[in-house]
Amino acid sequence: MARTAESTSRMDEAALIRAAQAGDQDAFEHLVRNYDQNVLRLAMNLLRSPEDAYDVYQEAFLRVYRNLQSFRFDCSFHTWLYRIVTNLCLDHLRKKKVRKTESTIMETEDGPLDRLDSVPEQRAHGDPQRSLLSRELRGKIEEALTGMTARERMVFEMRHYQGMRLRAIGEALGTTEEAAKNCLFRATQKMRSALGEFV
Amino acid sequence: MTCETARQQLVLFVYGELSFDEEELVEKHLESCTECQIERVRLEAMNAMLDPGEAEIPAGLLARCRRDLAAKVQEERSAPRKRIALANIWRNWVVAPPMWLRPIGAVAMLAIGFFAARLVPSDSPVLSHMGASNENAPMVSRVRYVDPDESGRVRVMFDETHQREVSGDVKDANIRRLLLAAAADPGDPGLRVESIDILKRQCSDDEVRRALLNALRGDPNAGVRLKALEGLKAYAQDPETRKVLAQVLLSDENPGVRTQAIDLLVQNKEPEVAGVLQELLRREDNSYVRSRSQKALTEMRASVGTF
Repeated sequence: MARTAESTSRMDEAALIRAAQAGDQDAFEHLVRNYDQNVLRLAMNLLRSPEDAYDVYQEAFLRVYRNLQSFRFDCSFHTWLYRIVTNLCLDHLRKKKVRKTESTIMETEDGPLDRLDSVPEQRAHGDPQRSLLSRELRGKIEEALTGMTARERMVFEMRHYQGMRLRAIGEALGTTEEAAKNCLFRATQKMRSALGEFV
Repeated sequence: MTCETARQQLVLFVYGELSFDEEELVEKHLESCTECQIERVRLEAMNAMLDPGEAEIPAGLLARCRRDLAAKVQEERSAPRKRIALANIWRNWVVAPPMWLRPIGAVAMLAIGFFAARLVPSDSPVLSHMGASNENAPMVSRVRYVDPDESGRVRVMFDETHQREVSGDVKDANIRRLLLAAAADPGDPGLRVESIDILKRQCSDDEVRRALLNALRGDPNAGVRLKALEGLKAYAQDPETRKVLAQVLLSDENPGVRTQAIDLLVQNKEPEVAGVLQELLRREDNSYVRSRSQKALTEMRASVGTF
């Protein structure tokens, strides 16, 4: 039964893609709305910045729009889209990586300011429970995330927060399931060792 | 399977990423190894602790993304025609305008510059938009619904949050009250583990001890229950604590928690404990927990069975 529902939904998606390829604006918008919340969430989780996430969203779906004509159903639309999104996020992460080696303390006009102090403000729009997380724990999580390579972090976020299977992650990143497994293992080890005293 | 191999597989095990056969091997190993069971609980607790770390999409961001994307796509659609039209205007009226238009154009440009500078107020939204922020704007955590009416107005219902930070000693009544609330927060196991870890040093306080006992008895997360057990170690002689330990021993689904409960209960070798352990042996499936119970009963010189 589940398989029937899945294949029906795939057929619907194929029809949507064909309609969008033929220039149907509504079909394209429908296609975007099927995926855009997850795309935005992945970008937010990885980049921790609404503006960067906004940029990735715009660029990813514009690329989809511009290249939809060349989509030939060789892979699923999901895999194709996530290839675009993960490449954009990897580019952003690599640019950000420079900051990894910087101290968390910045000199400002008002004196020294700890970057970690800005984390709750960035997230203050969210669940108020989050603001209760201790600064120390947040610091450890941030430290572990920045200690991961861009690919490890990508795999970790896609598996942990997006709930994607390792095989799909491997396909999106253009690598094997085994390589994705190894990335997840290393990422978890890093997180485990950073949070050792909390668990 | 060795513990080392099992620990490597556990990461994938907790994510449900092992094959059927691999999962069977890990399950089998876990049945006989409490250390790896505890490691599994710790990994699950860590994963739960990370969940609140997920970035929340700020209210309005998705709507802004959709609106701007629609505008950009629209622009792309009309770009070829618009580019040709703009190129014609540029060529015919700017690059090579008719001779009669040139002096008029120069005067017009001067006039536009003069009046624009005089007419645009310094506090115009256009100018102030760049730097100013609206301090009175509410901090929106979630927009619940939007309801447009026919006149073009929109009603927006949203949750507004106020954030406050307090700091102080854990002995401070206010701090303790917040920690007790956090220890019972149903949505965030990581927060509960952390709060109980801090509170357990204040176990001499009745309210704190009650919170730990409640967590041990009813928290759905095994990591939280283990943390509560740690805090109650010093109170293994307390009758109320012992009563809860006995309940937990017979009802907790996690073998790691049951094992720790045995260790605390047998500190006081009273006859009731032997009865609980005998009852446990009657229903226990886990071989490690069974052997711990048998050992404790032997040390108490009690029978390992009920007759």
